[in-house]
Amino acid sequence: MPRFSLVLLALLLGAPLGAQDLAVATWGGAYEAAQRKSIFTPYTEATGQAVTAVQYDGTVAALRARAGHEGWDVIDMLSDQARVACAEGLLLPLDAQALARGPDAMEDFSPHAATRCAMPQNVYARVLAYDERAFPGVKPTRIEGFFDTARFPGKRAVQRGPDGILEWALLAEGVPPEQVYGLLSTDRGLRLAFRKLDSIRDDIVWWNDPAEPAHMLAERRAVMAEGFNGRFFDMAARGAAPVDIVWDGRIIGTEVWAIPATTDRAQAARDFLSFALRPSSMARFSELIPYGPTRRSAFAQIGLNPATGVPMRVHLPNAPQHGGRALIRDSAWNANTRDLRQRRFEAWLKQDE
Amino acid sequence: MNAAPESKSARPVIRMMVLTATALCVGAAASFAAIAFVELVSALNAAFLVAPRARVQWERLPWLITLATLLVPTLGGLGVGLLHRHLSPQRRPLGPPDVICAVQFHRPLPDTRSGLVSTLTAILSLGTGASVGQYGPMVYLGALFGGAVRQVRSGVPNLDGIAISCGVAAAIATAFNAPIAGLVFAHEVVLRHYATQAFAPVTVASATGYVIANVIFERPALFLVEFPGVAHGYEFGLFALLGVLVALAAIGFMRLVLACGPWVAGLISHPALRPGAAGLAVGLTALALPDVLGIGTETLRFATIEGAFGQGELIVLILAKIVLTALCIGAGFSGGVFSPALLIGSLIGALFWALASGVGGIATSGVAVYAIGAMMAFASAVIGAPLTCILIVFELTRNYDITIAAMVAVVFSNLVSHRLFGRSLFDIQLARRGMDFSKGRDRAHLAVLPVTDLLSDAAITIGPEDPPGKVDARLADAGWRQAFALDAEGRLAGVYSPSEGRTPATLIFEDDTSLADAMERMRGFVGDAVPVVTREGGRYLGAVAEADIVSAWLDHVARTREEENAAL
Repeated sequence: MPRFSLVLLALLLGAPLGAQDLAVATWGGAYEAAQRKSIFTPYTEATGQAVTAVQYDGTVAALRARAGHEGWDVIDMLSDQARVACAEGLLLPLDAQALARGPDAMEDFSPHAATRCAMPQNVYARVLAYDERAFPGVKPTRIEGFFDTARFPGKRAVQRGPDGILEWALLAEGVPPEQVYGLLSTDRGLRLAFRKLDSIRDDIVWWNDPAEPAHMLAERRAVMAEGFNGRFFDMAARGAAPVDIVWDGRIIGTEVWAIPATTDRAQAARDFLSFALRPSSMARFSELIPYGPTRRSAFAQIGLNPATGVPMRVHLPNAPQHGGRALIRDSAWNANTRDLRQRRFEAWLKQDE
Repeated sequence: MNAAPESKSARPVIRMMVLTATALCVGAAASFAAIAFVELVSALNAAFLVAPRARVQWERLPWLITLATLLVPTLGGLGVGLLHRHLSPQRRPLGPPDVICAVQFHRPLPDTRSGLVSTLTAILSLGTGASVGQYGPMVYLGALFGGAVRQVRSGVPNLDGIAISCGVAAAIATAFNAPIAGLVFAHEVVLRHYATQAFAPVTVASATGYVIANVIFERPALFLVEFPGVAHGYEFGLFALLGVLVALAAIGFMRLVLACGPWVAGLISHPALRPGAAGLAVGLTALALPDVLGIGTETLRFATIEGAFGQGELIVLILAKIVLTALCIGAGFSGGVFSPALLIGSLIGALFWALASGVGGIATSGVAVYAIGAMMAFASAVIGAPLTCILIVFELTRNYDITIAAMVAVVFSNLVSHRLFGRSLFDIQLARRGMDFSKGRDRAHLAVLPVTDLLSDAAITIGPEDPPGKVDARLADAGWRQAFALDAEGRLAGVYSPSEGRTPATLIFEDDTSLADAMERMRGFVGDAVPVVTREGGRYLGAVAEADIVSAWLDHVARTREEENAAL
């Protein structure tokens, strides 16, 4: 009964007291829609606290520039961005034990460890997807196929940046996932990776917006694409294009929750986080969009997509049944080597001209 | 020197239980220790900016990288030198030769304190990027746990040697994630026989190491390689040729390792400063050639990738790694030769492949199989364990085709290096300490037994003034046919017998004559006993009866036979 009245109160007072909404900065699109449905709305129903989503581009620069005067209370980030932001003092330190509830909870998060300012919330993957129409016969099954234009001719959609593609280049050279970051840390490793990239130089179409690669496949502008698993799933699930995901060589990254240091409602933000980090919240989210939960116990609760009836577990990047090679993204390494890789990437692009 | 009498040993059931318990306990302890060792080294490598993955993250502070590259190995070496000097009674790093010596001669290992200091300095050496290997210290660490069993009175014959071998096998099984190789290494290098009594517990210990490494800690195989198979039959000829060439390089490497110790000692008189100087050399080289730092896991992987190195680069890197490893070991850094041997070998393989396929224009099945074949061929020549090396390839790569190819390179390498150098670096190091295994275990065992142990003072001696008639009576009383004539200073002057009078001695042993020498020199000797004199001055010490030498030899043969054929 009190819960109902609170909701009523929120509904009545929500509009005029918009400034009191909890502002959550996140990515927008299908991702935000899934968060709204699985986390924001249930949270409001449970506590009466209204939540407003704010879109941003995921960069630390945006956090620095906008969080203060737009009054952000909670932020959804990539784990390496959160690491940089934490080091700059842009985020509040968190007590992981308290937020996750219970001493065994930390074990439940393994291998996605909480860091000083960030709690892992979901797992996405950078994967290779291809257009079924382009390969009616032999289909690519391994990351090597992405660099093999003789067997699999056609354009490749690649993100214009050094993220992911360098790791793939070394995986395609036969380097086991455990050694990829070690080798990419050497000058020799970078040279080898760019050499591999040379072999597809003339077949690359670049993208900048993560929504693009799936469309490039659908519109036949590319036959293979590097992109995020959720986007490809979306394209295939809507029946828009026969896009298939190759799970081999997937680079598993972690999305985290954090609290901007500028918030004046830290306690409310922490309440929200502990709700969002419940296994049930994670499972609801994974039923809507194919991003895996960071808690093992959430897997057991994941069922069918409520709208399409698709069983969602198989589409999650960290689903226990996937074979092939998986690389866990090293966010510290990614954060600390970004400048170097960007520099080398731009130098490689210039060789073109 | 007596054969272990049956009456003193425990009942078979008890023996079985003791052996199994030993294998499990020593195996588990050695395995956990090996994992801790590896983890500590890798933590130090990350903290001291030795590992590329750590170095690259500080790339925006180039002065820090330069400073760390120069200072870390230098200070590490200084620390190693000081620790050996002030905390270790042996004052040197301990390694596989000490283990072989202890097991073969049924002696205790050097004192535990020296062993622990040696392990600590090995962690420091490897952690600060010295060009040495990690497996030698791990073998010693495993042996250290086995050596502790010596304190237990169990009534099981040969238990000390078996326990040490268990520790060695478990350490290798854990370190390489290769239980079969661990088992074979312990037999091929340490025990040098295959008695069931030893084989069974060593296998149990090796399996224990595997379970701990694989099931509890889930460590991946070290060197997974995809290789579809050898494409051309003639490539096996290339593998054989590669084996021969690698053996020549390995011989050069081992000679350099042996020569570097005395050379560095002549250069720097203070022993504690030597590793620091070698560390500085490593740091200076690493400024231009960062691949030489540490164990070189990344470089090892690059060697299996086509075109990762230019040919000139390969030659420079091979030479630098050979010289720096020899320097580091000669200067007293604590560490083994196996990991550097793997690295040098794989680089030679990559160079050979580049020459054969690039310059020679021969179609091949890719660089990986040449790099891995040469890697194991080089290591096999250095540690003298072809079977172990073949099995390590199999367990490391989990690839049958690559194993067959590597096998060919390994045997040819072993053939050449055994003929031209010796069975292994360890054996030559031991031979220089007077323990020569080149003619087999039994010869080596007899060679360390001095005949002076068998001296009897019952032989009759006569001084210059003793009248012959009295001597004849004493000889008849004692049942001897000869007496040894001494001069006024106690030196042997000749042999007196009642029938022939005084004649020069036909055979004389010196105080350093070994039982093995004695057996050989006694061929065709007629007489009761052989006189033993000091090598300096020729003073008479006593005589050894022919019968005593023969029974000592028989006892020894019996003991060896029992050890090598024991079922339980």
